Amino acid sequence: MLHWNDALNAVWHSPYLGLFLTILSFQLGLWLFRMSAQKPFLHPVMVSVTSVCAVVLITDLSFERYMESAHMISQFLGPVIVALAIPLYENLKALRQYWLPFLLSNVLGGAFTILVAVGMVYGLGASEMSVNSMWTKSITTAFALEVAPQIGGMASVAAAIIMFTGIFGALMAPALFRLCNIHQAPAQGCALGVCAHAVGTAKALEFGGEQGAFAALSMSFMGILCAFSLPFLLGI
Amino acid sequence: MLYGLIVFISYLLIGEFISALLAWPVPGSVLGMLLLFLTLVIRGGVSDSVKQSSQQLLPYLPLFIVPASVGIVNYMDLIQAEGHIILSAMLVSLVLGIPVCGWLAQKAMAKVPTAEKDKTGGA
Repeated sequence: MLHWNDALNAVWHSPYLGLFLTILSFQLGLWLFRMSAQKPFLHPVMVSVTSVCAVVLITDLSFERYMESAHMISQFLGPVIVALAIPLYENLKALRQYWLPFLLSNVLGGAFTILVAVGMVYGLGASEMSVNSMWTKSITTAFALEVAPQIGGMASVAAAIIMFTGIFGALMAPALFRLCNIHQAPAQGCALGVCAHAVGTAKALEFGGEQGAFAALSMSFMGILCAFSLPFLLGI
Repeated sequence: MLYGLIVFISYLLIGEFISALLAWPVPGSVLGMLLLFLTLVIRGGVSDSVKQSSQQLLPYLPLFIVPASVGIVNYMDLIQAEGHIILSAMLVSLVLGIPVCGWLAQKAMAKVPTAEKDKTGGA
């Protein structure tokens, strides 16, 4: 006599289920991303988050139970943010003669794109939660997950905004560059890094190494800038 | 791998320590990253083991943000009510922001003296 029900229950309630679902869906995302020649809409995070969300919404696996198991993955976020100091340091030499264009593009351009987005959600009468979560739209998710709660935003809402901003930014950038005659490598890199963070940096690397370096630098710089300024400006 | 992880977590803890000490609302991880970056600038280089750990760890950064992002399931009402506002604000800020960021950099680059450009142009 085999206990099918108990066996299935043991798997469904295993403390490893959330961990397994996360890694499995992410690996699936990696495969799809590679097979599709890196289509931004099939970014591994997009595939993984959508699949896990579907499971949580459809089945009786609650988010709380999923997170209990998956939070051990989240805990690597802190050390990996610190590790970003290494590529930041190694890309630094690209800045030698272009530090001024880099700063202008990041500080002024970054403030502009953030203010346009925040101003619009505010002007169109969105809730405080949406407005607060919009402030982190130009920093990479890893940073935003830590910054959003400090300014009264919601980490997961901020993450969704950033995911879509990155995807749309990477999709629209090539046409916008052509249309507006933005042809210099550092300028393209800065625009992609400031406006489309991680997905934009991946796109920038397709343009070339210099674009990639400037995008990666912009992504880290915007992250640091926002992490240090937003909580003081908007802190609760 | 472990040596680098010890370095990263040490800086993370130092960052959390300082951030709490000064009652700063800045995440300890970001402060730790900045401190490690400053250390590298002062030292003038990265040790091989730390560099190797970062190369092993960083490709998985996107994986580490998945669980927190799934939290969006708790905000389906918000998305339903305000998703269109958020989406349009996002698109407008991109259509304006990408050209502005690129244009600002390109304008400023035109001011960089050509001699200086030629010197390191190929690097």
